[in-house]
Parts: sequence; structure tokens; C-alpha cells
Amino acid sequence: MTFKRLSISMSFVVFIMYGGFILSLFYFYNGRLFLEIFQSERTLFSIRLSLFTATVATLISVFFAIPSAYALSRFRFPGRQMVDTILELPMIISPVALGAVVLIFFNTPFGMFIQGKGIQFVFTIYGIFLAQFITTVGIATRLIKAAMDEIPVRYEEVARTLGASPSKAFFTVTLPLCKRGIIASSILTWAKALGEFGATITIAGSMAMKTETIPIAIFMRLASADIEGTVVLVLILVGIGLGILYGVRFLTGRSMPM
Amino acid sequence: MPKIELKSTTKYILKEINLTIEDREILALVGPNGSGKTTILNIIAGLIDYKGEVFFDSRKMDHVPPHKRRVGYLFQDLALFPHLTVASNIAYGLKMQHYPEETISLRVNELMDALHIQRLKSRYPQSLSGGEKQRVAIARAIAPFQKILLLDEPTSSLDAQTAKYFRRELQALLKGMEITAVLVMHDLLGAEEIADRIAILHKGTIEQVSEPEDILFYPKTEMVSEFIGMPNILHCDTCHVLSSGLIEITSGNMKIVLPYEGKVIKKIAISPHDIYISDTKPPGPALNRYMATITEIIPLRSVVRIRVDVDGNKLLTEVSKETFDEMNLSLGQKVFIIIKLRRLRYAE
Repeated sequence: MTFKRLSISMSFVVFIMYGGFILSLFYFYNGRLFLEIFQSERTLFSIRLSLFTATVATLISVFFAIPSAYALSRFRFPGRQMVDTILELPMIISPVALGAVVLIFFNTPFGMFIQGKGIQFVFTIYGIFLAQFITTVGIATRLIKAAMDEIPVRYEEVARTLGASPSKAFFTVTLPLCKRGIIASSILTWAKALGEFGATITIAGSMAMKTETIPIAIFMRLASADIEGTVVLVLILVGIGLGILYGVRFLTGRSMPM
Repeated sequence: MPKIELKSTTKYILKEINLTIEDREILALVGPNGSGKTTILNIIAGLIDYKGEVFFDSRKMDHVPPHKRRVGYLFQDLALFPHLTVASNIAYGLKMQHYPEETISLRVNELMDALHIQRLKSRYPQSLSGGEKQRVAIARAIAPFQKILLLDEPTSSLDAQTAKYFRRELQALLKGMEITAVLVMHDLLGAEEIADRIAILHKGTIEQVSEPEDILFYPKTEMVSEFIGMPNILHCDTCHVLSSGLIEITSGNMKIVLPYEGKVIKKIAISPHDIYISDTKPPGPALNRYMATITEIIPLRSVVRIRVDVDGNKLLTEVSKETFDEMNLSLGQKVFIIIKLRRLRYAE
């Protein structure tokens, strides 16, 4: 078997594996139940909550990720290596552990002060924002940095010689040039936030009609052995996820910049 | 339009550079790769930190950021903004410097006319040819009424014929704008065509700054002489205008016929590889063909330099190693030499 055939075969093995898992859902699929669960108030609340929190968390993540990615892409500064490593934390630490870290923080005097005088994060929607933010900001920064690395510094140098200040050069040249990369990164960040479970359930809990996002709703149904209900929610999540992946491909015209 | 002064400027390979570029002068920096030419441009533009001082019209510029220096820069890779049309690329600097819309529109149109790129107005850089990109990049660099223009290899993306034409056009444009310009060029002949003065750089030091003619006829160091191809300099004793646009000059006992351009010729520089050498009598007319005696053979890595004596005139010629081996030349041997007319350069 040639190397080319071997690599193509491997990609199909992965495809068949995922496809097989998804198709297996239809073994327990019940059309009538699908509509019933999909239209229930609790499910619709979970969908709305997931879409809303993922959108807010993505906006906050991207807001921090764009300047951070630019700094890491363009400048050499003391502590750069440290910042770079910390940003990888959500990728190497389990989201549950990350959520536990945050929960423990809110039990320290400073954390309790924030909870008391500022925003109540634990077991509230703000906890969901925070959980999704801490698990996605590192990935968002990585993806946006990759997009910025592709833009030669030369364009900014040209802009500078033409009278643009560093910030103007960034906003008029670098940002428009990596716009597609930023949009694609934002969509992937949003998808990651939408599917976030571990940190969310640790910080915000699993209160129906309050902090129950789709992944948490799936977990709750599975925990009560409601397989058919679980299938419906998984199919909803898969539908949204696939829609997003196609959106990214449509926008970038190529594979995702992972 | 400022005078530029670099005082004891040091960065990377550059060592204590002292250089003055006069107001409205076109100076070409010429030298081998890695000699520090582009670094000098980057220092003038303020794009890199450096030791030493830079003055524009006696004003210290060391802490002035690039966007406040008013220095246009044509980078070697041109770097046209791919997300902007040709017109928007040219207008970019004017917008950054807050010129009114009316001025921007007038200036963009004026430059597009001057550089013959009006028809490209709405196109994006990706769809332009190398020459078109070059013109757009120049228009963009000079659009915001810059006082200084830096050009890094401005003809590098053009073929030889287009480059020659473009150099003439560029020189006329620069002179017309009364701008101080510093060019980096690897080609001495190209630099001679466009620059008022040439600075020869080697390993981070300036070997010589002179008018093109002086570089050729009075190289100050061995390196400069080597870099310009160690030309033979012949002093002309008499000039005699012939019919058919030619002039005959005598130098010692040699008579050389040259194209006549209406001026008296005082000196000629002939590059060693522009002198053919042959152990047999070459066919064709005897114009600028002489008998010579080999006085010295200097073997180098890929070429052999041969000193010959033509009726008392000492000339240096150069042949490839293969040609030398084929002809089996030796000291004292009588040979024929022919001087190529087209590559002669004159001091008038």
C-alpha cells in the first residue's frame, strides 16, 4: 500500500468511526418524541441559554484574544513565554479541573469579596459566561495568532512610513487582512463554548431553567437513563455543530486553521 | 526637502557610518549582498533601532517614530496592500495624514497620470504585473508629499529592457519632485544611470562616495576597484572626429574609434572582460583590434586575468579558465586583442 493510499484510508477510518457513532443515534430515534422534546419549554430554554452564553463568552474571549494574539505574534517582551504557556492551560487541563480551580478561588476571601460585592458567579448565568470564557480564550488566542502570523510585518512597516501610527496600522492593515481568520477563529471558539460542559457544570451547576445548557441537559437526561431524550438533544447539538463547521469552510474556503 | 546626515551610525553589520545626502540629491547605495545597504534605508526610515545619530536638515531624528519622519519607502517586495484597490493603496498615506478628500482625489489622479496607471485604478494588486505593481508602489510611497524617498532595489522585479526604461522614467520623476532620494541597487550600471552620487558599501563600511564618473575613473580602494571590475583607464591625448558619427582618439600609441556624442573625450574606462583576447587573428574588420604581448598571468578561481602590453599601453583583460586552457597562453606570447565598443565609458 502506498503512503498516499494509507493516509487516505486512515482519514476514511476516522470518518467512518464518527459517522458510525452518529448514525447509531438513529437506532433510538423517535420522530414523535423528537418534536415533543424539541418544542418543550425546558429544551428551548437550554438552546436559547446555550446560544446566548456561547455568543457572549465568544465576544469576551475574542475581545481579549485579538490584542493578546497580536502581542504574541509581533513583539518579544519579558514574560512572553510565560503568557504563551498559560494560554495553553485550558488545552492541557481538564475543564472540570479548571472549573474546580475557579470554584475554589471563589471560596477564598478575595473570591468571596467579589461574589459578595461584585458579581455572583457561582450557580448563575455569569458562572456559565466565566466557565466558557476561561476554556475558550486560550484557544481563541492561538487561532487568531496563527491568522496574524500569516500577515507579513512588512505591511505594517509600509503603513508606518506612510504616516500611520502603530494602532492605525493595526486597525487599517493587519486587522482587515486577517479578518477571515478572525471570523473563522470566532466561529470555532463559539462552537467550543457551545459544547462546554465540565467547567460550566462545576461553576454554574445544573439547574433546570436556570443554568442548564444543552451539554448539561444531555448529561442530566443520560444520568436518568432517558436514552431517547438524550438522542434528541445530541442530534440538536450535532446539527448546530455541523452547521458551524460548514459556515467556517464557506467563509475561509479551506480547512479550519487549527 | 531635507539634507540627510548619518553620524557614527551602527547597526548589525554597519560600523560607524558617516554619510551626508544633500538636499534633492539622488544617492545610490551599491555593494555586494549583506553589505548593509538596506539597513541604512531602515535606519533613515526609523524602522529599526540603532546607535549613532540621524539628522534631517540638522534636526535630530533619532527618537522620531517612522510615521512622523515623512519618509516614503519603496520596499523591495513592494508590499502593496492586498485588501485595497490601486487607488486606495495610493490614497492610504494621504488619508493617514488627514489630507482633505479633495486633495486626496487630486493627488491620486495626478500620480496615476504621471506613472501611467490610471487604467488600473479599481484593480487589486493580485491582478497586476510586476511592472504595474512597481509603479503603484512608487505612487503610494510618494503620494503623501514625502520629503525623502527610499527605494530598495526599485527595478529588481523588472526585466533588463523594462528596467532600463523605468530607470530613466524614475530619474525624471524624482528630479521633477525635487525630493531627496536614496536608492539601494546591486547593479552599478543601473546606479550610474539614475544617481547623482554613488556610495559603495562593503562589509558594513562605506568604501567610497563619489559621482559615478569618479567611482569608475578614481576608485579609492582595492575593493572598489575590484567591485567595479578593475577597469582599464586610458587617457586620451588627441581626439579626431570622423565622419559617420565616430571619433578617433589616441592614447599613447593606441588609436581607438568610438561613437561620437558631440563632446571631447578625456578618458575612457574599459572593463577587463570587455577586451577579447585571441591567439589567432580574429576575422572581421581591424577596428579597435591590436597586437599585444602577454606580460602577466593572474589565475583566479573561475577566471584568469591577463596583463598585456599594446605599444606601451598596459591593459588588463579577463578570460574564463576554460578559454584560457583552450588557448594555452603563456608569458611573452603575442596575441590579438579587440576592444568591445558598446561597453566603453567616457569622462568628458
